[in-house]
Amino acid sequence: MAAMNDASAPVLTARGVRLGFADDVVLDDIDLEVAPREFVAMVGASGVGKSTLLRAFAGLLAPQRGDVHLSTAEASASRAWSMVFQAPRLFPWRRVRANVELGLEGLGLSRDERRARAMEPLSLVGLEELAERWPRTLSGGQQQRVGIARALAVRPRVLFMDEPFSALDALTRQRLQSELTELRQRSDAAIVFVTHDIEEAVLLADRVVVLAKPDKGAPATVRDIVTIDLPLARRREQSGFREHVQRLEQHIGVAATPEETTS
Amino acid sequence: MTRPARHRRTLISAVSLAALVAIWEAALRVGWLPSNLVPLPSQIPGVLWAEVLDGIWLDVVLSSLSHYSIGLGIGSVLGIAVGMTAALLPRFDAAHSWLARLLRPIPPLAWIPFAIIWFGVTETAAAFIISIGVFWINYFTSYSAVRAIDDGYYEVARAFGQGGFSARLAKISLPAAAPGILGGLRAGLGQGWMTVVAAELFGIPGIGQRMMEASGLLATDVVVVYMLTIAALYALFDFLFMRIQRRVLRWQQ
Repeated sequence: MAAMNDASAPVLTARGVRLGFADDVVLDDIDLEVAPREFVAMVGASGVGKSTLLRAFAGLLAPQRGDVHLSTAEASASRAWSMVFQAPRLFPWRRVRANVELGLEGLGLSRDERRARAMEPLSLVGLEELAERWPRTLSGGQQQRVGIARALAVRPRVLFMDEPFSALDALTRQRLQSELTELRQRSDAAIVFVTHDIEEAVLLADRVVVLAKPDKGAPATVRDIVTIDLPLARRREQSGFREHVQRLEQHIGVAATPEETTS
Repeated sequence: MTRPARHRRTLISAVSLAALVAIWEAALRVGWLPSNLVPLPSQIPGVLWAEVLDGIWLDVVLSSLSHYSIGLGIGSVLGIAVGMTAALLPRFDAAHSWLARLLRPIPPLAWIPFAIIWFGVTETAAAFIISIGVFWINYFTSYSAVRAIDDGYYEVARAFGQGGFSARLAKISLPAAAPGILGGLRAGLGQGWMTVVAAELFGIPGIGQRMMEASGLLATDVVVVYMLTIAALYALFDFLFMRIQRRVLRWQQ
């Protein structure tokens, strides 16, 4: 693991990962490498195990077989990875700033340093004004922005995002999607982003990993990895955008199971 | 409730209480009630003043307060500690759950024989009895408050390097369970007052003992003085506690 910290080495390597509960294997033969600062989206039908895989990458779940290597934290007072959850899951008993400080606790920073470090990502997501508010006074979109700030505060090498925008209304979701594209330019983190929304994946990612079951009842695996070679600016308006979306829809088998075209 | 509505409510409550006291007074004066069984309300302030001047009132109130606060403190701390530990450690929960089920229905006053055998007719015995009732209230509220915490918070803690037992306890279990724990503390505050008098009835100096003495002499007015004292002290503690509770839980309002 120590050898993986040079600048171009992958920040995340998964080899032959199998995940499941006892005899019930959900995912198998997962191989993936994520480069520094890369944005990888993972898409697949609901129940295919995207979020489970994300947790295994983070080390929150142990794989039944295979291994996952995450590169270690680079700078001092930082963490190897952090996560943005589907529900913001802010601690309601902490003010916004104290929520953002959560991951900074135990990193050897003084109280003032923690405070200053928390304000940086808060201003990145445009919420420095709300630092002293209680979470319950924020809108859903603002709460999710705080969730993103909390994850960025620890300056992670890999940022895991588990359907972070799926619970938001369409307008807020679009706004946060474009904010995330901007945030990427200012952060050194690689992003592994789980979504069931194919357009969202094509809009944000450098590569889209398609998870699908080869047969009914078989564990899901990586069916395809699609590189999105479109410029990030105004990506939705690019001519290749729809083709990518359509190709991915075919891979996931959206046409065969229309009830899962939730995007 | 709007402000005028609240004022009207207060007014109705005050008038009703005053009316009840007036009827009580009148019933005694007219002779509808036997004066050896119930005291005249108008006598009560004078009797209270006499008790205060004799120094008896302050003495017994301070004694009771000391049993009360020791019993309340020990019962609350142990109840919260054991309840939270049981909720956080499944093995401990399994190990003690039958014992808890066995002991739980035994009322605090049923412990009086053992309290006297173990501690004699002492203040420790009174504090012990008070602590039992307070313990169970705090035990159960803390247990359920911790069990009700959303697992998602613990996952957040793990994702942000706060997955150790003490970090989870200080950063999630305690603050997330605080509303329930404080609710239990408040209930224990009331329960403790109820047992304090009962625990003193068997001779430990305090409000209860003074009330027993007075009833032996048919001094019903003195009994009522101390009944009102208990009510007033409870109201004061409850009011102070509610202010603290509101401050601690200001993230909820």
